[in-house]
Amino acid sequence: MTDNPYVRVIKDGLWTNNQALVALLGLCPLLAVTNSAVNGLGLGIATTLVLTLSNGTVSLIRNLVRSEVRLPVFVIVIASFVTAVELSMNAWFHELYKILGIFIPLIVTNCAIIGRAEAYASKHSLGRSLLDGLAMGIGFTLVLVTLGALRELVGLGTLFDQAHLMFGEAARGLKFSLGEDFRGMLLAILPPGAFIGLGFLIAIKNLIDKRLARRQTAGVTEPLEESAQAGAA
Amino acid sequence: MRFPTVTSPHTERPNSVTWTMLWVIIALVPGSIAMIWYFGWGILINMLLASLVAVAGEAAVLKLRSRPVMPAVGDLSAVVTALLFALAVPPLLPWWLTVLGVGFAIIVVKHMYGGIGYNPFNPAMAGYVLLLISYPVEMTAWLPPRMINEQVLGLGQTLSVIFTGTLPAGLDWDAITMATPLDTMRTQLDLNIMISEIRLSPLWGDFGGMGWEWVGNWFLLGGLFLLYKRVISWHIPVAMLVVLLSIAMLFHALDQETHPFGLFHIFSGGTLLGAFFIATDPVSACTTRKGQLIYGACIGVLIFVIRTWGGYPDAVAFAVLLMNMAAPTIDYYTQPRVFGHGP
Amino acid sequence: MHYPSTHKTTHRLHRFHGGLHLPDNKAQSTGRPVRQALVPELLILPLQQHIGAIAKPLVSAGDHVLKGQMIAAPQGLISAPVHAASSGVVVGIEDRPIPHPSGLSAPCILIRTDGEDRWCELPEPIGDVNAINPDTLRARIRDAGIVGMGGAAFPTSVKVNPGREQPIDTLVINGAECEPYITCDDMLMRERAGRVVAGVAVLRQLVEAEKCLIGIEDNKPDAIAAMTQAVKDIGLDQTTVVTIPTHYPSGGEKQLIKVLTGLEVPSEGIPARIGIVCHNVGTAAAVADAVLEGKPLISRLLTLTGQGIAEPCNLEVLVGTPVSELIRRAGGYTNAASRLILGGPMMGFTLPDDQVPVTKASNCLLVAGVGEAPDPGPAAPCIRCGECAKVCPANLLPQQMYWYARAKDLEKVQEYNLFDCIECGCCSHVCPSHIPLVQYYRYAKQESWALDLEKHKSEHARHRHEARQERLARLEAEKKARLKKKKAALKKKPTAAGTSADPKKAAIDAALKRAAEKKAQLAEKGVKPENTQQLTEAQQRQVDAADARRKAARPAEPPADAAAVETEQQDG
Repeated sequence: MTDNPYVRVIKDGLWTNNQALVALLGLCPLLAVTNSAVNGLGLGIATTLVLTLSNGTVSLIRNLVRSEVRLPVFVIVIASFVTAVELSMNAWFHELYKILGIFIPLIVTNCAIIGRAEAYASKHSLGRSLLDGLAMGIGFTLVLVTLGALRELVGLGTLFDQAHLMFGEAARGLKFSLGEDFRGMLLAILPPGAFIGLGFLIAIKNLIDKRLARRQTAGVTEPLEESAQAGAA
Repeated sequence: MRFPTVTSPHTERPNSVTWTMLWVIIALVPGSIAMIWYFGWGILINMLLASLVAVAGEAAVLKLRSRPVMPAVGDLSAVVTALLFALAVPPLLPWWLTVLGVGFAIIVVKHMYGGIGYNPFNPAMAGYVLLLISYPVEMTAWLPPRMINEQVLGLGQTLSVIFTGTLPAGLDWDAITMATPLDTMRTQLDLNIMISEIRLSPLWGDFGGMGWEWVGNWFLLGGLFLLYKRVISWHIPVAMLVVLLSIAMLFHALDQETHPFGLFHIFSGGTLLGAFFIATDPVSACTTRKGQLIYGACIGVLIFVIRTWGGYPDAVAFAVLLMNMAAPTIDYYTQPRVFGHGP
Repeated sequence: MHYPSTHKTTHRLHRFHGGLHLPDNKAQSTGRPVRQALVPELLILPLQQHIGAIAKPLVSAGDHVLKGQMIAAPQGLISAPVHAASSGVVVGIEDRPIPHPSGLSAPCILIRTDGEDRWCELPEPIGDVNAINPDTLRARIRDAGIVGMGGAAFPTSVKVNPGREQPIDTLVINGAECEPYITCDDMLMRERAGRVVAGVAVLRQLVEAEKCLIGIEDNKPDAIAAMTQAVKDIGLDQTTVVTIPTHYPSGGEKQLIKVLTGLEVPSEGIPARIGIVCHNVGTAAAVADAVLEGKPLISRLLTLTGQGIAEPCNLEVLVGTPVSELIRRAGGYTNAASRLILGGPMMGFTLPDDQVPVTKASNCLLVAGVGEAPDPGPAAPCIRCGECAKVCPANLLPQQMYWYARAKDLEKVQEYNLFDCIECGCCSHVCPSHIPLVQYYRYAKQESWALDLEKHKSEHARHRHEARQERLARLEAEKKARLKKKKAALKKKPTAAGTSADPKKAAIDAALKRAAEKKAQLAEKGVKPENTQQLTEAQQRQVDAADARRKAARPAEPPADAAAVETEQQDG
């Protein structure tokens, strides 16, 4: 294992302490907007932006704020950045903004953001806090995109549909389709599909972790565990 | 002389899970034959395909979970799930939907929760609901019963429709399929057509849809057989049917033109199959006697509510799944008075 | 099968929840009259054949003993003595395998019999029970080593002493014998009904019950006829032989009481709480032997049956006879023999080999053939079908209890009334998944008891520690207060009398204090069973010494000044 704190911050954010898969924070937007990969990516980027900026700001003011009022102050900081991001999206990605709708302002209430501000940024230096925000944000975004892609593929048989909303007209070609005959499974697009899909993602992560752990303790025979998929329930 | 150490009781055991499941399968026979008679080969093909998928899926998952395969597959519970699923879906359902539904039922709903005995939801109904939500068009395309069907498909034609999706020359889907009587009743009521007008159609029999009511009768017979063999107890089906019938009769009495009469609810859709074969699934139902009465009664209420005001034509699957969720709580609050304890 | 009742009974019967109608399989072993088993070469007599404290050996290796001689004495209130079942020489006191589900060994007295079967001198028979002090009767029953012979083996002398505050209204005699295969009580009632009823009369006299109900299942018409006749012959008033339906487990104490009287024994209570005492017919016969003939409990009736035995029968066997000897007497094993079961098929347990002895509580040896008890195969997961709840005579929810017992959630199992389970085995019998449910409940009970004991111990230790701290603090405070008063007294009355009284007074105080301290310590330790005998005696001596000193000191107490008297009162 590495001792470099920066590497560890990145690893935590992307995998070990992934906000969506391990901490299970920010599930409301996660489950609500991931009906397509592009939606997921949009909200992911917005969240990452807010998370990084708020982490940095909180880190800067961490010694100025009395602990009694820190939470309201953090919320004000986060709300300010969310407003900025919302206005920017409204200006430059208006179609995507309309699709994501209420979930952009709702980033304010994303527990992952206030959670990182409280748990990390308020205790660490600017550099580390920025990196933590970025890593956590990217980890969260990856899950959003993966889940969105999964649901889009199963539910509609397409991938990166409407990518032009984000990357301009040139990105229309990004769209991948399983063909017109594909009969999508509507359930994947509906809310239950989000829960089931997230369950599968968590199960897969646990499975990979268990495999890794087993490889590390190679030679030591482990008792056969109850299937990791139980988590998918 | 030395002897083996074995735990008590030292008796020949009267029951086994395999026999329980076998009785259920036997009890399904008359209703299944009736369905095949009225709705064609598709029902039989679905039953066989679903059973095959269920058994193969169960064996595969058990293998993955490093569990002994034979005893669990041999208990026939997967076959019962498959048969109930096949009897609930339309006869011409594309093969891959059957595979998807049964696969979901066995792999996700049954085995991801730990296999037989541990699934909180009825696997067959969960698989059915998955398809109903995801593929509403295919799932509501039923056939008219034999008596009023001008285009009865042969075995070869049915196979071809199910497995390749190609209809016999000169036919299209709209010509050979039609909605179930429950569905028809709903849509027409939504169009403000009065029941007396709706019932002028040749689709109707004495109580429910033509053909359907006889299917219901045969499932009722199977259910009575299960009661006689003491495989199920009377509490759930009786509570469910009595409550559904009473509510339906009450509303019918209030307004005869917008609420079909009570027996229509009993002899339409999956009510009788559900009452005796699905709601009585012991794993996901209530286990105390008092709890079973409440459980059955609530299913009866939910069926009426969802059928009358809900978004889907039939409601047995939804009602059963909703009550599956409530079963542990009901069980907790309906514990019997134990010997030697005060009232 | 339906048996015509031999006489009309007007007694109103009641029902209990659940239960099973099992094939009774009793005819196999009732075809032959009861035979005497032979005296074995070696008698193995476990020191604990009863519920309660283990008996203490009175003999040692090499001693010659006579038939009926007490060879181990009871220790404590709930215990029972052991008697030599035949005359011979004690060859050792050592651990031997005993008939117990665990298959463990326990201390036994081994007697090499001499074949003479010579009786020792027995106590005088008591002719007129009414003329004798009940306590003498109870002592006789206790000395005869009589325990409940229906299987529980609870010392009978304790059970016939319900105490003044619980007047007994009804004596229930259990002749139900509801478990399949077992016929020893049936044969006892058929062949020795007079003896049983004589015992019933004694028991009734002891518990001062107004009336007596003898419950017998309707598949034993001969026994019912014999008992009815015996009751008439002896002329017992207010005594009814009641024919009850054959319905397992109607022979369970609580179930039988419910069937006969409609009353339910309260949970965690004993029948005496509702004015009932219940005894087995075998116990009644043993009481008759002890009281009317002075004979201790050294033999009993035992059923040998099953497809694995050549000549199924009932034998009168000496307690301590190895199982193998009895099997030989019943014609030996057949080729079908696949399981050796002590007790009936529902509640009995398998014996790993046939070298263990039979005890006072053994009622049946069932050598099951493959067809009688086929291997049900491995247990499958519970499908919550509720069959178990349907047949549970205690109206429990076995499926829920199983769930929590499996999860080792002891609190939750107890919430589902684990301790009301009578382990009758109905649930295991009907379980379609063939789960050994009762084993799970036994396990949960054991674990709960172990946990309770642990909790009790740690709580006790905590109390002791707290009490000690408190005592030390109090003594310190008292010491200071005394010192203060002494100083004040010295200042107030610096007279010669005061100075001469004070040292003496101090000595008395010290002695009193020591005595009180020791007494407190002793009282605390006294409730703790682990305490060694040695220490208690040493403490006792010290306390006695202190007491003696105090007695000696008091009369010599001078008419002391007010302060000194006050001090003493405080100490006392």
